[in-house]
Amino acid sequence: MQRMTLVRGLLISSLLLTTPIIADNNLDNKPDVIQIIDDMEALYRGDSSKAAITMIVETPQYQREMKMTSSAIGDEQSFIRVLSPKKDRGIATLKLDDEMWNYFPKINKVIKVPPSMMMGSWMGSDFTNDDLVKQTMLTEDYDLTLNETETEYTVTLVPKELTVTVWGKIEYVVNRAAMVPLEQNFYDDRGDLIRTLTFSELKQFGNVRLPSRLEMTPLNKAGHKTTVIYDELIFEPDDVDPAVFTLRNLKSRF
Amino acid sequence: MNLLVKLAFRNIFRQRRRSLLTALSIGGGYLLCTLSFSLIEGSYNNLVNLFTLTKTGHVQIHKDDYLDRPKLHKAIDDYADIGKQLNNMQQVKSFTYRIFAPALAYSDEGNHPAQVIGIDLTRERATTLIADKVASGQYINNKADSDGYFQAMIGIGVAESLEVGLGDDLILISQGADGSIANDIFRVGAIIGSRDSGDGANVYLPLNAAQTFLALEGRVHEIVLTLDNYDEAEAFAATLRSTISNLTFSNLTISPWQEVEVDFYKSMESDKRGNAVALVIILFIVFIGVLNTVLMSVLERTREFGVLKAIGSRPIIILSLVTIETTLLATLSVVAALFLTVPIIYWLTHAGFELSEPIDVGGIMFSAYRGEMSWYVFGVPVLLLIFFAFIISIPPGIRAARILPSQAMSSF
Repeated sequence: MQRMTLVRGLLISSLLLTTPIIADNNLDNKPDVIQIIDDMEALYRGDSSKAAITMIVETPQYQREMKMTSSAIGDEQSFIRVLSPKKDRGIATLKLDDEMWNYFPKINKVIKVPPSMMMGSWMGSDFTNDDLVKQTMLTEDYDLTLNETETEYTVTLVPKELTVTVWGKIEYVVNRAAMVPLEQNFYDDRGDLIRTLTFSELKQFGNVRLPSRLEMTPLNKAGHKTTVIYDELIFEPDDVDPAVFTLRNLKSRF
Repeated sequence: MNLLVKLAFRNIFRQRRRSLLTALSIGGGYLLCTLSFSLIEGSYNNLVNLFTLTKTGHVQIHKDDYLDRPKLHKAIDDYADIGKQLNNMQQVKSFTYRIFAPALAYSDEGNHPAQVIGIDLTRERATTLIADKVASGQYINNKADSDGYFQAMIGIGVAESLEVGLGDDLILISQGADGSIANDIFRVGAIIGSRDSGDGANVYLPLNAAQTFLALEGRVHEIVLTLDNYDEAEAFAATLRSTISNLTFSNLTISPWQEVEVDFYKSMESDKRGNAVALVIILFIVFIGVLNTVLMSVLERTREFGVLKAIGSRPIIILSLVTIETTLLATLSVVAALFLTVPIIYWLTHAGFELSEPIDVGGIMFSAYRGEMSWYVFGVPVLLLIFFAFIISIPPGIRAARILPSQAMSSF
């Protein structure tokens, strides 16, 4: 009797143990969807990076071009400094984990971006502060489903129940051959497409080839568009100093 | 007819005491009417004048629907050209340019929402009463100081909550018209208004400084102009619309103050209607008084009318006699009362009743009840009283005309 139980117990536990292995084997045939998104998100970041960026904001009323530099360590720390136009020169943004500060040299003032302003525009562009801070982790806070075609992966991200976000759904389109993002479509709760981010103009940065042109088009604001162009992007540079990512440096004269 | 007028005159002066009593009642009524007219018109005019001259001006020009949906970029580009046109218009007393933007004001003590208003300092002063609102400090100028800072005049709300005083720095952050973040430091040059005046969050900047601050170089949101009188606003706005539409200026909207401050105008209008009800009641009381005296005098003269009938006067003659008498008497007493009323209204207009506690009406202090002196104030009650005296003399006249001589003789 006792032996029977033991055998049965062994049988059951071996079954339990093998189930995940079987599932894993299944996944091995399919690409890991979490891995795809994590790879995409890490593309422009590396372990650390430095970039020279041109941002063009277009609206029916005006067009504005800004040049800036950015430094980042991982996805926790980043620092952006505006170089031109002259009027805005020296304006800086520091991001540490989930928090974000702007510095305005003319008034010598650091202003923390409050949580309520996270969906507000960054520097008058169509990017939100949240786009920079990325408080939500796509792979942790969203449920992912994958669709494949010959050339593309389309990952649909639906927020988990407890995720705080304004998006009802995000569609992430990836070029399979180059493994670079092509498009991100953001939908609201009602399933209406609110904005589209497209990636284009592949360019060689060191030993990586990346889309150098990002275009954010909000569909609820006719005639608005923000283009971000990576003029330079250096991964793992020698001179990224952790002291850059401090409030003290934010306020330093430039 | 001539004979009737002569007779009427004689009748009036035959019974002096009776006529005097009637005249007093009519004259008193006239005085009462004129006083209420003067006060109602006066306070209305004072308020509207104060309001238009401190805030709105008489007519405003905006781009498109800026008035209803203000957006930073809905600005007038060719305002200097429009100014040239306005300069050539005789009706325009003066005009000024403004730009507006919401902002956040900072000091070391914290932050406070502010309404930034860029004003053409010289023109604004000539157009509105802004210089009178300076509570402390000096009306600012449009030159940057040695540190490169422009001056600002700030409302008392901003000053108190940020604990900034004259000469202190005030940081303003707003959105520029080019999408940039407008940020700059200004020096407090003056503090504006009082605690109750409703403009506590206003921050006035020199136009040139505000244009640079908000990236609105060469553009304004609003042109404000004043005329000789606020009641010309609607007509002038109509003229201006047709003049300007002939010119090449694009998409301008011209609004008289009644459209700019619809709520204020509506509340003033409903106030006026309320006053009209009060006026009707006053007039009614006056007419009852006059009717009473006229009726009494007819009743008193029953025998006299009986005799007239007996010697063959036709009823129409007697009716005419009574109405002519009353109308004549009313005219005489109104004219006499007019001489008495003019000095009273004059005093009311120039001195008025000081209110012990000024009333805040839509952000402006209303400190004294003042009357108004105008043809309207004197003339309308004159016509009203004479007309109503004529009307109310008809029923007693008919009564007199219907008297039967036999009954009349035997009455008393």
